[in-house]
Amino acid sequence: MSIDAAEFLQASVRTATPLALAAYGELVVERAGVINLGLEGAMIAGSFGALVGAGVGGVGAGFAVAVGAGCATAAVMALVVLWLRADAVIAGTAVTLLSLGLTGTLYRALYGVQGAALSVPTIAPVAVPGLSLLPLVGRAFFEQPAVTYALYILGALLWWWISRTHAGLALRATGERPAAALAAGLSPVRVRAWALVFGGAMGGLAGGVLVLAQVGTFAEGMSAGRGFIAIAIVVLGRWTPVGVTGAALLFGAASQVQYVFQSLGWPVPYQLFLALPYVLTLLVLAGTQRRAAAPAALGAPLAEEAR
Amino acid sequence: MRIHDSLGAQVSHIQTKTPAEFDENFRQYGAKGYSLVFGHGFEFQDAAARVAPDFPKTIFVTTGGTRSSANVVAMSFAFEQPSYLAGLVAASVSKSGIIGCIGGTELPPVRAGFDAFSQAVHVVNPNAKVLTAYIGNWDDAGAGKEQALAQIARGADVIYQNADAAGLGIFQAAKETPHVFIIGSNSNQNNVAPTVTLGSVVIDLPNAFMSLAREVKSGKFTARAHVLDTRSGVMKWVLNPQLRSVVPPRTLQLVDSVEHQMQAGTFAPPASPRAPEEK
Repeated sequence: MSIDAAEFLQASVRTATPLALAAYGELVVERAGVINLGLEGAMIAGSFGALVGAGVGGVGAGFAVAVGAGCATAAVMALVVLWLRADAVIAGTAVTLLSLGLTGTLYRALYGVQGAALSVPTIAPVAVPGLSLLPLVGRAFFEQPAVTYALYILGALLWWWISRTHAGLALRATGERPAAALAAGLSPVRVRAWALVFGGAMGGLAGGVLVLAQVGTFAEGMSAGRGFIAIAIVVLGRWTPVGVTGAALLFGAASQVQYVFQSLGWPVPYQLFLALPYVLTLLVLAGTQRRAAAPAALGAPLAEEAR
Repeated sequence: MRIHDSLGAQVSHIQTKTPAEFDENFRQYGAKGYSLVFGHGFEFQDAAARVAPDFPKTIFVTTGGTRSSANVVAMSFAFEQPSYLAGLVAASVSKSGIIGCIGGTELPPVRAGFDAFSQAVHVVNPNAKVLTAYIGNWDDAGAGKEQALAQIARGADVIYQNADAAGLGIFQAAKETPHVFIIGSNSNQNNVAPTVTLGSVVIDLPNAFMSLAREVKSGKFTARAHVLDTRSGVMKWVLNPQLRSVVPPRTLQLVDSVEHQMQAGTFAPPASPRAPEEK
């Protein structure tokens, strides 16, 4: 009963992939100064979109519809928060609840009580020639579904975009000092709206990954809190792409530790194992929280002079 | 729906999300004068006990519970009986002698099923190892798959799943791994993944509700705790015909004879949800 380290790491990256995708989206949203609690709703909408899209046009269509469904939840969020000026925390919660309820209802209406059990095509892991042969990390990082490789590229692009481009500067300015951004000729409302749409798209993609790269089916509520975990990962990762990537990996690994521990059959109440990833995350958060790194205007609605 | 069709009754249903709603929903039906209200799940029994005295003309039925009163029926299912039969099959099909059980959460009927399953496994193969894990919820199919893969990595080649929608991930894990079989539960899940599903531990719930609805309609109803088992035909082990050839013929005979003993009432695996832990 030995534990294969390479296999463990591979599973950790697999578990971290949807979390990292959703967290990248939330990272951009929060750098623009908005907290999107509708991320969980974007994920479940993405999962359902993936089911519907894949049923019509295969895996590619599944991912496309997943991203579209996530964007749709974000569009609602943007409309309500930015133009109707509702409270973002309440609006985000409402979007999540609405999305969970709506996907459940539509699923029953379209697929009946029998459901669509395991009818969705999935994408298999593809080994990258050469790199996947590296000891330990080879299989872990380079024998994954294609969407995980897209994640690596996206993470690098995101770092470059946020810290090295004018558009990235506009994003950061909006999240730090919206009034100053406006004075510089930017539209904070528009920046926040685009950030929300990007966040929704990433949440939808993450939900699509659950269906199209992992379980091959939809289940009501299958996002199971991953959207909220992604929001925590953004905080844990100190609002930087590198930090968020690390935090997602950490949470993926902690989840895998939980699975492995349970499968060893130790006489310990299983609830302790289930709590493990969260306890670990709290400990890391407590141990690393030294200076404030949150965008200065995070969570603050746009003042009249910044619109 | 069969109740509607064959008894001509008016049928309505509500989905509840939180325990706070259970009382409310029971009261709604009681107030509307429904004669029979089913709450499927042992979590409904407290609400039924609280609400029932206020609506003496309505009969409240909960499943999986144990407490009954004048107009509260506790229907419970002998999950351990078909689970025992499943265990006989699992142990004879497993090549590694390592067998997994994955549940949603540790509800008493889930635990009773796993205990009887594990007991039967050890009857066939005293050296077998049974790994038990819980996902922590009933929706997270992704976590179901990962938990199954973790058990498979420890050598498990047959997994008994009782995790509702989260269990779909367990079937998917078996579909992606050669020579791993799954045993389904609650409904007949043999068609979920016909190439990897050995069989299912089935509760024929419509059948159970039908027989009770008939009693109420004909006026023969008496309040009592109903234990439904293989004798009533409500609990049954359903082998997947497509994988019949995987199961040794001797085991098929053994399963048949044990099933007959259960139906005759001469043999029953212990129903205690707290049987000694298998390690």
